[in-house]
Amino acid sequence: MKIFQKLGQMPIGLTVPAFAILLIVFGMPIILLFLSSINAPAFSVTNYYKFFSQPANVRVLFQTIEVSVLATGMCLIVGYPTAYLIVTASKRVRLTLIALVIIPYLTSGLARTYAWIVILGDRGVINNLLLHLGVIHSPLPLIYNRTAVYIGMVHIMLPLMILPLVSAMMGIDRSLMAAARSMGARPLAAFWRVFFPLSLPGVRSGSLLVFVFCLGFYITPAALGGLRDAMLSTFIAAQVTSSFEISKIATSAFILLAIAVAVLSMLGLNLAGAQGRAATSAPRSWVVRLPIFAMRKHYFSEFPNRYRAKLWTTQLYQAGGNSRLSNIVGAVFVLIVMVYLLSPGLIVVIMSFSAGTFLEFPPSGVSLQWYRSFFGDPSWNGAAWTSIQIGIAVAILSTVVGTLAAYGLNRTHPRLRGFLTMTILTPVTIPVIVVGIATYLGLVNLGLIGSKTGIVLAQSLGAIGIVVVIVSATLANLDRTLEQAAKSMRAGPLQTFLRVTLPLIRPGVIGGAVFAFLHSFDEVVITSLVSGYSIRTLPLKMWENIRNQIDPTIAAVASLLMLVPVLWLIVLYLMWWRARPRDHHTLSELAT
Amino acid sequence: MVKNPVLPQIEFRSVTKTYGKITAVRDLSLTVGCGEFLTILGPSGSGKTTTLMLLAGFEAPTAGDILIAGRSVAAVPSYRRDQGIVFQSYALFPHLTVTRNLEFPLEMRGINAAERTTRVRRMLERVHLGDFGGRMPSQLSGGQQQRVALARALIADPPFLLLDEPLGALDRNLREQMQIEMKSLHKEFGTTTVCVTHDQEEALTLSDRIVVMRAGQIEQTDSPEALYDRPATCFVAKFLGEANILENCNFELETDAAQPSGTVAMIRPERICIVAPDAANRGDADRRQSITGTVDDMIYAGPLRKYHVRVGSSVFIVREHVAAGQPIFRPGDGVCLDWLRSDIRFVAA
Ligand SMILES: Nc1ncnc2c1ncn2[C@@H]1O[C@H](COP(=O)(O)OP(=O)(O)O)[C@@H](O)[C@H]1O
Ligand SMILES: [Mg+2]
Repeated sequence: MKIFQKLGQMPIGLTVPAFAILLIVFGMPIILLFLSSINAPAFSVTNYYKFFSQPANVRVLFQTIEVSVLATGMCLIVGYPTAYLIVTASKRVRLTLIALVIIPYLTSGLARTYAWIVILGDRGVINNLLLHLGVIHSPLPLIYNRTAVYIGMVHIMLPLMILPLVSAMMGIDRSLMAAARSMGARPLAAFWRVFFPLSLPGVRSGSLLVFVFCLGFYITPAALGGLRDAMLSTFIAAQVTSSFEISKIATSAFILLAIAVAVLSMLGLNLAGAQGRAATSAPRSWVVRLPIFAMRKHYFSEFPNRYRAKLWTTQLYQAGGNSRLSNIVGAVFVLIVMVYLLSPGLIVVIMSFSAGTFLEFPPSGVSLQWYRSFFGDPSWNGAAWTSIQIGIAVAILSTVVGTLAAYGLNRTHPRLRGFLTMTILTPVTIPVIVVGIATYLGLVNLGLIGSKTGIVLAQSLGAIGIVVVIVSATLANLDRTLEQAAKSMRAGPLQTFLRVTLPLIRPGVIGGAVFAFLHSFDEVVITSLVSGYSIRTLPLKMWENIRNQIDPTIAAVASLLMLVPVLWLIVLYLMWWRARPRDHHTLSELAT
Repeated sequence: MVKNPVLPQIEFRSVTKTYGKITAVRDLSLTVGCGEFLTILGPSGSGKTTTLMLLAGFEAPTAGDILIAGRSVAAVPSYRRDQGIVFQSYALFPHLTVTRNLEFPLEMRGINAAERTTRVRRMLERVHLGDFGGRMPSQLSGGQQQRVALARALIADPPFLLLDEPLGALDRNLREQMQIEMKSLHKEFGTTTVCVTHDQEEALTLSDRIVVMRAGQIEQTDSPEALYDRPATCFVAKFLGEANILENCNFELETDAAQPSGTVAMIRPERICIVAPDAANRGDADRRQSITGTVDDMIYAGPLRKYHVRVGSSVFIVREHVAAGQPIFRPGDGVCLDWLRSDIRFVAA
């Protein structure tokens, strides 16, 4: 009886809605998928055998691994020095650079992929320029090859690598470098013996993030690569649309999943175990996997501290020496990386104002014709409206369900909490194509393919995970005695939540809602599988356009898509900044 | 404000609280009388906060029972208990102004807006924060925050008040000032108060009774004077003030009564006189004992002088008020220590 009473009061009950959605839309279908891949109830590995007996499959599999590994490696080679230079820069420069990395991170991957088509295409910016200058007489084959795939993928994934790295590097205790120097370590030695090992968690989470993302996100390779550059995920998606042979699809999906899990466990679990706090560190390392969030704390906490020991820390961080030459080399490097990250978007925005009958760079005249065409064409603005509707529904559903779950998890025993959080985050930690396939199956069973409800449910899987991560981290910073104080003043549990907890975690809840909306607004892979061709969201319409005929209106759409996150970023920034109670203090101090 | 006529009595009956393998509180029995100011004193980790959290209803006892006014409160959630709590971190709601913070407990009790405004104003005046109602907690100094926390705990006139290290975050001067303030508030409201602290001075100044805790158990419960003057155990003697333990000495200890087994002899540093060797023994030699030693060290502490005197292999601590005409001894000086035999205490080892 007493146990029963206790169970009834357990906050874990609040996670039920989240797990119900997860289980119905994703959990059960993925189990069915696995069963069909092993031919249950016959239980055989024939499907896997068949997969590997076809040389074409094996080639695609190796190609997938090769592209993912190389793209991850390139991101790391470019990202590590960039992150290091960002962290060692002066505060003002650092904040600017971080913002410049966050902007592309928040920008639609589809829009950025489109930007590369515009730049690298046969009639693209580069070829046009070279033709114009008379350097070449026929367009160079810059697009639809492996190089273009790498250029596009590294461009898309680089923020995913840089942000966790910066986060990890900013967490390194500054006095450690000073200590190493005081013990006679020369700058380079101090870097390799102290700084580098301490930055490894960032290397790990950045690499994991990029690698798993590469495995599942087929949009960029499909758009920029040639026919021979297909990834396994492209194959899977194609199979769903051409011939829905479930056992074959399931097999490919599970092979992809197996690679992801192998890499996750190799990098993720080993290192966590080596740190000797596997159980508790697990949820945190997942938090790092949503880099934008990991950054938030550092980013916004810098403002109140900006006057504190600015020079001192900057100098200590200059592990690689301080010569003028190395400073210039560093500055040039960062500049190139930033141009690489930002210029494609900028070019598209500029081109979207072209006056001619097709897109030009630089535009010969300024006009709003493509924007007019976007707002005037029902197929475009209808798609935008659908996306907004779905996005709002996803934001509401996942914010409510995710906040409840985060609150419930926060009050659960730490070991159980770690496990449950990881489970809720599965849809954002495994290759997205696998989630898409499972969700497709789940929605088929529910009869929701091609319905808005179905799309909202499918997109909410990931969005709930995002909300849980953001709200959980906000809750972790919440002083529990505030709730006890409320209860000691006769506030019941609901009153305590509404009057004390919710106002205090509101920035996290709103942030979660914003990111849930953005997640939905950008989603292509899962949505394209479950939309059943009857519903067009904006990204779907764009994707279709990119693959078939390119309507210049897309430039206007892409520009708008790049603008939306920047606006959101400003909104969030203002809110988070103002939400910090200490800032009232700082502001009034500054005023006097 | 009117004193609550029937103040409840708090009773712990063999309360045990375990967290997994850790026993935070073991078999604790304790009664807090009406209107009493009781302090739970103990080193860090001795289970003080846990005891307070049990009483507040934030933790449930693993075994035993807690009674308030004779009724078990095990099944009563904290928000249905009538209590005021001052948390160690104050726990002022950072998103509400001082006024809104003070109104919170009144609102929860369904008191109307007009009445709330009056009571908040009166309470703010009472804690000398009349002009601070519109501020956010982050715009207050530590001492002001402390007073707001105290005001918030008392404003709904709860029958008992719980304080967790209430002055721990304040600097020394402020702490003394707040001690006086708290004492006067307690006198005025007459609220039964349970205070938790590791600061012996705070405990001695404020309390009617002190409970000394060690490793989750009660070591001794007594009035401040009795606790200091007649500590029951060596731990209490050392935790509350300083103590010279007279063990393995190179002289025969002269005592009035026989030493009970399992005890050690103890004398407080201020009960020992330090004099030049030739000036020893002042008449009533039959009631005193003198020994000789060498000064190891001397520390000035404002109005006090503290000597470390080596006698054989042991070192005595001697504390003396600075007074005119008193000789000052330097390290290396030979001195004579003497004390009244009746100042020797036997404490459980
Ligand atoms: N929530 C908890 N979980 C596990 N152990 C706890 C918890 N709270 C307290 N303890 C343990 O119980 C003991 C007593 O703690 P506490 O009551 O906080 O001591 P004090 O307040 O006297 O410093 C300590 O050993 C502490 O580690
Ligand atoms: Mg404590």
